[in-house]
Amino acid sequence: MKGKDVAAPGKAIDPISQFELIPIIPIRIGGLDLSFTNASLWMVIVLLLALGLMVYGTRNRSLVPDRLQSAAEMMYEFVASTVRGSAGNEGMRFFPFVFALFLFVLFSNLAGLIPYSFTVTSQIVVTFAFAAMIISTVLIYGFYKNGMHFLHLFVPSGLHPVLTVFVTFIEVISFLSRPISLSVRLFANMLAGHITLKVFGAFVTMLLGAGAWAALSPLPLLGVVAIYALELLVALLQAYVFAILTCVYLNDAIHPGH
Amino acid sequence: MTNSDGGKDDDKALKARLERLSSALEDRKGRPEANGNDVDVSASSTGRALSLGMRVLSEFTAGVIAGAGIGWILDKLLSTSPAFLIVFIGLGTATGFWNVYRMAVGSTGARKTGSK
Repeated sequence: MKGKDVAAPGKAIDPISQFELIPIIPIRIGGLDLSFTNASLWMVIVLLLALGLMVYGTRNRSLVPDRLQSAAEMMYEFVASTVRGSAGNEGMRFFPFVFALFLFVLFSNLAGLIPYSFTVTSQIVVTFAFAAMIISTVLIYGFYKNGMHFLHLFVPSGLHPVLTVFVTFIEVISFLSRPISLSVRLFANMLAGHITLKVFGAFVTMLLGAGAWAALSPLPLLGVVAIYALELLVALLQAYVFAILTCVYLNDAIHPGH
Repeated sequence: MTNSDGGKDDDKALKARLERLSSALEDRKGRPEANGNDVDVSASSTGRALSLGMRVLSEFTAGVIAGAGIGWILDKLLSTSPAFLIVFIGLGTATGFWNVYRMAVGSTGARKTGSK
C-alpha cells in the first residue's frame, strides 16, 4: 500500500513481512489461538535438524569419526568446555540444559539464513521464553541449593552501610535486567540482520528497474554477500553468547557468595 | 652402505623437522590459551568486537528498562504517578553503568578470581 508513492516500479521495500506469523493449521481451543503456524513448523524443523545431527552423527560410535560424528563431537566438547570453564565442574549437571539451548538457538539462527525460511529466534516471545526459563531455573536452583544464603548474591560485603543499601538496590535491578538483556540481544541481532539483508536485496531490484541507474546495482549485491557472511558469523556468535551467559548466570546460582 | 648413510641423514633431518614442527605447534597452542579466558572465541576480531559492542549496548539498555519498569509498576500500585518512575529510571541508569563496569572487569579475568 505504501509502495504507491515509491518512484521505482515493482515491489517496494517490505522488510517486515518476513517475520509475519501465518497459521498453517488453525486450532482454536476455548478463547486461545493455538494454531500451528510457520513458526511452529520451523521449530519442528530445527528440532529435527539438531536431533538428526546428534543421533545420526553418533550412530556408529567409531573410533575414527566420520564427518557428521566429528561435527557432533566437536559441538559436545565445545559446549562442555564452555560449561566447565564458566560454571565449574558442579555446573556440569546443567550441561544437558545448556547443550539443548545452544543447539536450538544455533540451528534456528542458521536455518533462518536459508532463503524463504522463518527465523524462530527473531521472535521476542521465543527468546524471552528462553530467558525466563533460564532465570527461573537460576532462582529455583539457587534457593533450593543455598536457601536464604542465595540472597547474599545481592548484598555486597565490606561497604559503608548507606552504600550497601544503594548497591543492593542496583544489584536487584541488575538481576531483573538479565532476562531482558538476554532475550533482547538475541532477538535484536536476528531482527536487525534480516531486515538489513532484505533492504539491501530490495535495493538491487529497485536499481535494476531504474533505467541507467541499473549500472549501480552490483554494489548493493556485493553488500548483500558481505552482510550474509557477517550474519553467518553473528548467528554462531549469538548462540555462543547465549550459552555462555546461561552458564554465567547458573554459576551465580551454584556459588552465590562473591 | 650409501643407502644406510643416507638413511641416517634422513633420520636426522626428519627429527629436526619434527622438533621444529612440534615447537611451532606448541606456539600455536600456547597463544590462544594465553588470552583464552576472553568472553569470545570468534574467528575474526571484527566479530568479537561486534558481539562485545552488542553486549554492552544490551546490558546498558536492559538496566534502564528494568529500572523504568519497576518504577512504573510501583507508581501504578501506589498511584504516585511520576515519583517512583523518576527515581527508578535514575537507579536503572546506574544499574546500566554497573552492568557495563562489571562486564569490563570480568573480561580481564578479575571476576573469575573474585567469584572463587
